[in-house]
Parts: sequence; structure tokens; C-alpha cells
Amino acid sequence: MASTSAESTSTRSSPAAFELRGASVVYDGRAALRPADLVIRPGERVALVGPSGAGKTTLLRVLNAGVRPTSGAVLVGGRDLATLSPDELRHVRSTIGFVHQDLCLVPNLRVSQNVIAGQLGRRSLVGAARAMLWPRREDVDRAARILARVGIGDKLYQRTDTLSGGQRQRVAIARALFQDPLGILADEPVSAVDPARARDTVELLCDVARERGLTLIVSLHDIRLATEFFPRLVGLRDGAVVFDAPAGAVTRGALDELYALEGLERIPERGEDGSDR
Amino acid sequence: MNASPATIASAPKRPFFLGARGIVLVALGAAAIASWFLLDLSVGGLVPQRGGVRIVREFFAGALRPALDYESDVPEGTPSILWNTLAGARRTVVFATAGMSLAVVLGIVLGFFGSSAWWTGDPAGGATRASRFLRRFVWPGVWFVARTLIVGMRSVHELLWAVLFLAAFGLNTFGAVIAIAIPYGGTLAKIFSEMVDEAPRDAGLALRGIGARPTVVFFFGLLPRALPDMCAYTFYRFECAVRSSAVLGFFGFPTLGYAIAQSFENLHYREVWTYLYALMALVVLIEVWSGAVRSRFVA
Repeated sequence: MASTSAESTSTRSSPAAFELRGASVVYDGRAALRPADLVIRPGERVALVGPSGAGKTTLLRVLNAGVRPTSGAVLVGGRDLATLSPDELRHVRSTIGFVHQDLCLVPNLRVSQNVIAGQLGRRSLVGAARAMLWPRREDVDRAARILARVGIGDKLYQRTDTLSGGQRQRVAIARALFQDPLGILADEPVSAVDPARARDTVELLCDVARERGLTLIVSLHDIRLATEFFPRLVGLRDGAVVFDAPAGAVTRGALDELYALEGLERIPERGEDGSDR
Repeated sequence: MNASPATIASAPKRPFFLGARGIVLVALGAAAIASWFLLDLSVGGLVPQRGGVRIVREFFAGALRPALDYESDVPEGTPSILWNTLAGARRTVVFATAGMSLAVVLGIVLGFFGSSAWWTGDPAGGATRASRFLRRFVWPGVWFVARTLIVGMRSVHELLWAVLFLAAFGLNTFGAVIAIAIPYGGTLAKIFSEMVDEAPRDAGLALRGIGARPTVVFFFGLLPRALPDMCAYTFYRFECAVRSSAVLGFFGFPTLGYAIAQSFENLHYREVWTYLYALMALVVLIEVWSGAVRSRFVA
């Protein structure tokens, strides 16, 4: 699990890709995220681990400018999200890819359209209509290359709802890549697929992130996948960051403690609980 | 740990045998019965009067023998009844199509402003004062105006609009077309906006998450999810528009209704049936066409 050059070369002077400064989120009086400080450098690959309801999804949504923190600040690329106008906020969002747990594809569109939709954050209505209905040759070619990279190059013109669950997940990843983002956030990308495919998916996300120098933050239930593929782990429990360390430095004891809930005294097996919404 | 039988046995009883839903159902039933009493409906009223029996019998006898030729002498040069039927059917469809083409545009535009899915629920939306003002007052205001407009358009029936425009513009084709377009546009806008608001929002939220503008979220995240239902409903409304267009003939527009009214006045029931069969054929054709299109929406 040696960290790659991408992490080690990120300089102290360049702004962090993502930064939380005492950011917390309270939903209806319940703390979904306790005041947290977190700095994620450009090109880092980080796994968020922790039991259901630990706040992993909330943390990702805060980083993605989808939830405004109740207190504290969130900085993306050095810019405080709380100071941005709608146009600036849209621009920041357009630089962050998000692979949703339930994929959020449009089932009755073609795969190519779902992939090209990755760039709609940067287009006007007319530009979006062009891209979706009469895409330029370059866009279609690029979508085809990305689909080939994620292993479903032959599905370009199929309707998305004719694909299997695993293939659809690759469409969601392809959409995030087509967006040409600086970073990709993935929320439990493997909660709905079988173990072999889960490993492939995590490996694919890490490989493309490394190839393109993207910052990658993935929430995972599966500790083994997290320690195998991610140089850095952030453990969450009850909305609080309980550890933030290189994967090699996270002890078995720390993990056991992370998952030591009432009546749950071991690391849960894969798929034991579905989501942490 | 499974629940023991003891805990199941002690499950709380429903407090009252008739829940809120039950009360509503009983009230609806009572309203239905009350309406019949208030109107003093009796089946006896449907027994035809003396001359009525003959008319009813003649009318329905015509169903078995629709006219293939006019039942009385017509002036020299009058096109044959079959030709007249075809021409009437064609004009019926043309009026309906013109009305619907306007109505669909109205429905999409007003449906956009009358739906709320594209502007609500962005908890981390822009932080400037202007963007908060938009979110809190402008979009809800636009939404309210659009919904009010939609209600106004569709609470007046197309035949009432037709009467109004007839009084204003005389027998003007464009008046007939907008008489259809206004209430149909309102109905389509209402249904479109509700279909978009009720369709799954996940793809729309994902688009917003990557910075898409509200209009882009609406047209490429939300609308596609509702499109199959919208399309099926539009077909149904087209069928309704064909019927409305036919009825506009009773006001003198040259659709099937015009021919039906003339034949009916002359007591030529067999001619009436020729035109009615043409109308039915149109409805069946639309149904077949819509079924063929809808079957392609299923993956």
C-alpha cells in the first residue's frame, strides 16, 4: 500500500482539494456530522469507513456542496463554499464528479446520453440540448473511449435500463469521468453488487483516479477493500471523525472500536447492512 | 433476536374499527347517494315518451345501416356522403392537431413554471443575497402565478371558450383552434408539472450536484423520467381534442360535428351513424398509434 507519487508530490502551497474547518451538520436537532477538520490534498485517494449512520454520506454531501454545514466552513480548491454565488457554486460543483449509491441515471435514455450528461453542469440550456440530442462527434468518441475504459464499450447506444446492475454502475462511473472533474466522490459504490464485482469496481475507481491524477474519496463498508486500495482511511462513528491515518497505521483495535456498536461487536461482513442513509 | 410470541400477542389493538380512511370512504359513499336524491333521479324518467320510442328505435336502427348515400335529394354537385365523411374527418383531425400543437407548447412551458422540482430542495444553493431572494420569493411567486393561470385556463371548457371566441371573432378558424388550445394547454400543464414533480428526482439531483442550471436539471434530469407518462397522456388528450373538434362542428366549424348536426336536424339518422362511425374510427386509429408508441417505452 505504498502511496503513489500523486500524494507525495502535492505541495503544501497549493490549496487543498477539499477542506473542512470545524464543519458540522445538524438535521432536526440530530448531529449527522460533528465538527470535523479534514484536509484532502489534490490526487489523494481516501476511504471513508464506519458503520451505517456514521455520517459518511453526509460528509460526502458536504464536500460536494450538496449540504450546507450548520457550522464551520467547507473549502473546495481553496474557496469557501459559503461565499459563492449560484454561478460560482455551479462551477465548483461541475469540477466534482459524484458516483451515487443508487446511480441516479435516467433509465429510459441511451447509455451515451447518460454519459454525456456528465458535462451538463458546464452547459447552457441550448448547449445541453445539443449535447443530449445531437452530440458532436468528439463527444460521442470520448464517451465511447471512456465506456471502453470502464469495460462496457459495446453498450454505447443501448438503453440504460437494458443493462445489468454492474454495467449500470460502470455507466455512472463513466458519466463522472466524462465530466472531466478534479475529483470524484463515491458513496458506497459497492453496496449493491456482489463481492467479486465490488472489488473490480473499487479497483477501477482507483485506477482511473491514478491515471488522471484525480482526488478520490469513497465511502465503504468493506474494511478489507478500503485497506487494500486506499492509502488513507478516515474512520467515522456517530458523526465524528475517530481516526484519520495512513491505511497501514490503522490498527485492528481501532477498526473494532469503530464498529463496536450496541449488539454489533465485530466488523460487519459485506452487505450485512444496506445503506447509511 | 426474533420477537417472541408473547410480544406479538400484546400488539396494540386498533383504537377504532373505522380509521380516518374508512370515514372518508363512508363520506364519499354518502355524497354519491345524496347527489342522486338531490337530483331526484328516478329510472322512470328514462322511459321514453310517446313519440320518443319511435325516435330512439329509428336512431339505433340506423346504427345497423349507416347511410352510403344521402337520404334525401341534394343539390347538384354535392360531393358523395363518403367523400363528405372523409373530408369532415380530415378537418376534424386538422382542427384537433392545430389545437394540440399549441396546447403541447403551452403545457410544457407552463408545466415548467408550474412544477417545483427544479427549484426546491437545494439546501446548499447559492449563498448570495440575490440567490436567497430568488429561492424564497421569486420562484415560489412564479410557481403560484403559473398554477393560477393553469387553473383559469382549464376551468373554462373548450366549448365555452368557443362560444366566447365566436361572439368575439365570428366563425374564425383560429378562434376554434385556440378554444381547444387554451383549456388543453392548461390541463397538459397541470398534468405535466405533476408528473415531473412526482417522477423520481434522483437523476435531476445528480445533475444539480454537478452544477447543472435549473432549466437543464428540468429538461434533462426530471423531464425524461416523466416523458413516457407525459407522452401517453398527450395521446389521450389528442383523442379528446378530436372529439372536441368534432363537437365544434355544432357551432358551424366544418368538422364532423357540422355534418352530424345537419343530418340530425333533418332526422337522417343513418347519415348521423355514418359520421359517428368515422369518428369512432378516428379514435380507434389514435388508440392503435398510441399503443404502438407506448410499447416502445417499455425496455
